[in-house]
Amino acid sequence: MPAASAVLAIVLAYLALSLVVGLWPGRRASATAEGYVAGDRSLGLLLMYFITGATIFSAFAFLGGPGWAYSRGAAAFYILGYGVLGFIPFYFVGPRAARLGRRYGFLTQAEMVAARFDSRAMALAMAAVSVVALVPYLALQIKGAGYVLDTVTRGAIPEAAGGAIVYGVVLVYVLRSGVLGVGWTNALQGMLMMGLAWGLGLYLPHRLYGGVGEMFRRIAETRPELLQPPGLAAGGEVWGWGEYSTAVLVSAVGFSFWPHLFMKVFTARDDATLRRTVVLYPTFQIFLVPLFLIGFCGVLFDPPPERPDQVLPHMLMHMDLPAVLVGLFCAGALAASMSTGDAMVHAAAAIAIRDGWARGLGAAVDPASERRLIRWAVVAVMAASYLVAVLYQGSLVLLLLSAYGAIVQFAPAVLAALYWKRAHGRAVLAGMIAGSAATLLLTARPELRPWPLHPGAYGLALNVGVLLLGRAKAAEPRREVSEFLRVAAGRLG
Amino acid sequence: MPCAMSGRRLRDVLFALYVALCALSLTWPGYAWLGSGVEPFVLGLPFGFAWNVGWSVATFAALVLYEAARRRMGD
Repeated sequence: MPAASAVLAIVLAYLALSLVVGLWPGRRASATAEGYVAGDRSLGLLLMYFITGATIFSAFAFLGGPGWAYSRGAAAFYILGYGVLGFIPFYFVGPRAARLGRRYGFLTQAEMVAARFDSRAMALAMAAVSVVALVPYLALQIKGAGYVLDTVTRGAIPEAAGGAIVYGVVLVYVLRSGVLGVGWTNALQGMLMMGLAWGLGLYLPHRLYGGVGEMFRRIAETRPELLQPPGLAAGGEVWGWGEYSTAVLVSAVGFSFWPHLFMKVFTARDDATLRRTVVLYPTFQIFLVPLFLIGFCGVLFDPPPERPDQVLPHMLMHMDLPAVLVGLFCAGALAASMSTGDAMVHAAAAIAIRDGWARGLGAAVDPASERRLIRWAVVAVMAASYLVAVLYQGSLVLLLLSAYGAIVQFAPAVLAALYWKRAHGRAVLAGMIAGSAATLLLTARPELRPWPLHPGAYGLALNVGVLLLGRAKAAEPRREVSEFLRVAAGRLG
Repeated sequence: MPCAMSGRRLRDVLFALYVALCALSLTWPGYAWLGSGVEPFVLGLPFGFAWNVGWSVATFAALVLYEAARRRMGD
């Protein structure tokens, strides 16, 4: 086992570097909410590439991805499948939303949708769901960071302290630099994640089995069910094609509409930058391949890990590896956690103030003090997430799945807002609520599903059905709606 | 300019068809019928794994071509 002090030294060096990189751009944005939340809409292709890629791939990619491959085999490929499809809507929706953002000053998704339908209730509902979804997601990132530090230091830094150290660094650079701090640290973290994933993903199969092909040949002989799509369900039985396919499709539909990801459309310098970000995204997401290879390495590894998502750190701690390599892995896993966590805390705070407090509840927010309020909200969201991570005893994954079910229901609302003149605001809101309720119910009580499909598929069908029913009742669209859609289409500057 | 318009339409229809084909190939029935075997191994990967990687690479190529076509047509 590697020396904990050497591993810790590498981790501390990485955290110090993240802090420097995160604080450095602090003075470059204007002292306004637009500067803090959207970087004055100035981000170029390099930052957009890393800010979207690194935001999408969280601690789950480094721990959960290999864990799925290890325990559920080919079922993990669904993550690759929905990633291929999921970012394509961004290519079309992103520039439309960005044009609206430039014209009307939008900085968040809910703000744009609520303005289109002239609905405070919509702003409040989307803000509440966003914050409720982002807090457990952020708590999982904090737990992931704490777990990694606890494991590689063999308990010298317990989970709670590890999470506090790592997210203390995140808090400082997000408070100081806003989205520019998130962007530049994501560039550093993205490069680290990709480099380490490819390095470890090719090194471990070679070291343990003599190569990738030999590893899979041995798994095919001893555990062939793991390599046969659609893989295994959580209980170890064969997963059904219905659940696999709808998991791919529902996740792909919801992918682009996560609030912390979607609002990055308002940070891009121009439409071409947004489109090229989507074009280049597959080069980022392909790093799931080495992460799955790492998970498959664990299938024949002795001793087996206690939990599937421990497979990567477990193997590293049981192999005679140099401390530098283990330290770098640790830095990579922390990078994955931080690069998602920083975007989440930043987004949740902006949404809470702009959509929930100002638009939803109608509180008067002075533009001069808005940035200060958002910064306070950053502290509050981080504190709440840390407390959830440390104190909450229930299943965070279940909480997250429930929240994700509701987030997926944003997709029809956003698409209707951007493309459909006759969409009716109340029908959109009713569809979103009905879809979320159906998804939550079927996630909690899967035995109520008429067919074994992903719960979100039922929710989306209900959501779209309610939305379409509302169409018949829609009056002639207001003049502002026509103008809104012409701006979105680029026909009105 | 009717010619440019029809070119744009053809470009968009082809891309939409590609996305639909990709979605069918990554789920049932395309993946189940065509891509879900373990063998042959491709670059050391089981076929069902390589199938997903292949669609990732193909989607990258499709997006590059689509973006290039948009730029060439001045969109």
